[in-house]
Amino acid sequence: MDKDKTILIVDDIEINREILAEIFKNDYEILEAVDGVQALEVMESHDNIAAVLLDLLMPKMNGLEVLQKMNDNGRIQTTPVFLITAANSEEMLLEGYHLGAVDIISKPFMAHFLSHRINNVIELYAHRNELESIVAKQVKRLNRVNRSMVETLATVIEFRDGESGEHVKRISGLTRILMNKVSEMFPEYHLPEEEIDKICMSSILHDVGKIMIPDSILNKPGRLTKEEFEIMKSHTVEGCKILQEVPDIMEQGIYNYSYDICRHHHERWDGRGYPDGLKGEEISIWSQAVAIADVYDALTAERVYKKAFDHETAVRMINNGECGMFNPKVMKAFEASMDIIIKRDWIKD
Amino acid sequence: MSLFEELEGLGVNVSEGMNRLGGNESLYTRLLGTFTKTIGNYEISADFAPEECEALVEKAHAIKGTAGNLSITPIYSAYTAITDLLRAGKPEEARAALVEILPVQKQIIECIEKSMQ
Repeated sequence: MDKDKTILIVDDIEINREILAEIFKNDYEILEAVDGVQALEVMESHDNIAAVLLDLLMPKMNGLEVLQKMNDNGRIQTTPVFLITAANSEEMLLEGYHLGAVDIISKPFMAHFLSHRINNVIELYAHRNELESIVAKQVKRLNRVNRSMVETLATVIEFRDGESGEHVKRISGLTRILMNKVSEMFPEYHLPEEEIDKICMSSILHDVGKIMIPDSILNKPGRLTKEEFEIMKSHTVEGCKILQEVPDIMEQGIYNYSYDICRHHHERWDGRGYPDGLKGEEISIWSQAVAIADVYDALTAERVYKKAFDHETAVRMINNGECGMFNPKVMKAFEASMDIIIKRDWIKD
Repeated sequence: MSLFEELEGLGVNVSEGMNRLGGNESLYTRLLGTFTKTIGNYEISADFAPEECEALVEKAHAIKGTAGNLSITPIYSAYTAITDLLRAGKPEEARAALVEILPVQKQIIECIEKSMQ
């Protein structure tokens, strides 16, 4: 066994630490602590501790309190803890197990048994930690691949729409700016960063349903007839049907956001949007953010049917309600983000 | 008479204690030295006041643990009983047990210390 592994022995009685150190010194680096407070300090400064042998009754901080702290900081998930006990109460031992101790070592010790038991668990944990690390790397890789697939799909659709694929990237960048600002300004809409990441990735699929719209309508230079506009509007519902057919290319969270954004990014705060005529808070905050991002980008980009408007004109048109009514709080976040939006360095998101 | 024989005569289960340490005789001998140092730090007296009971339980518990690991059976058994009696709120019975074990304890410590010199 290599000595790059370390065991932390926590016991206020010197002789107990000495015995345990003696048992393990040939196979492990040994660290010692005389109470719970010192044990936590040692753990804080060493990240390679393979196991903790923890006495229950100690001054300053007892073994159960140490276990509780290890639960709080998450270390209990990766480091096995053995409780050392000389016939303490059953309640204490039970609580120790509930707090994540893997085993109980009864005093007096038996060196051979002890080393076998502890070595076995350390090997098991090392193996488990290694597997978890492999799985985490693979999940990360899989997510990268999935993201590429989603981006490719979105880009293909944008090409059909006469865009270069940059539109979806701009939508993702704008959505991030808006969601970050909304989350920061309005506690009721606060979302953790990882959720905002998922929303931004999902936003690039907002127009996936356009693949079902005929070229004659999608790329028509002039104004759409009422019938043509009805067909155009169906891209929201058609997009959801496509997503339902390929749910496995993305994880569940992203699928849910994508579906919602795809269907509801043309809904409006006053209920005059489509396809479901949702209004107010019936529309999710992420779909409301993508709605503004989509409109802003459509206005500031050149399309077959129009020239690009400059930033100021686009903002004025949105504020005037020329593109429908939006959530007032998202509008406030939009206004508060002008400095960032105008720089346009978010388009590489 | 060797140290181990003397200790056996005082009721210490030397072979079991050594077995606990994988048969390592020099380690066992060294730990006996640590044991005398440890027990010397505890200053246990049978003349304890009622308010000292709590502190005494901690000391008795620690002595019990260290004596057990070296199979110093008389001390281990006595302090196991003393710990239990104090926790059960029976200080006078614990006192009687202490009066009984302290001379034996003294003999064992002296025996080890003599050999260390």
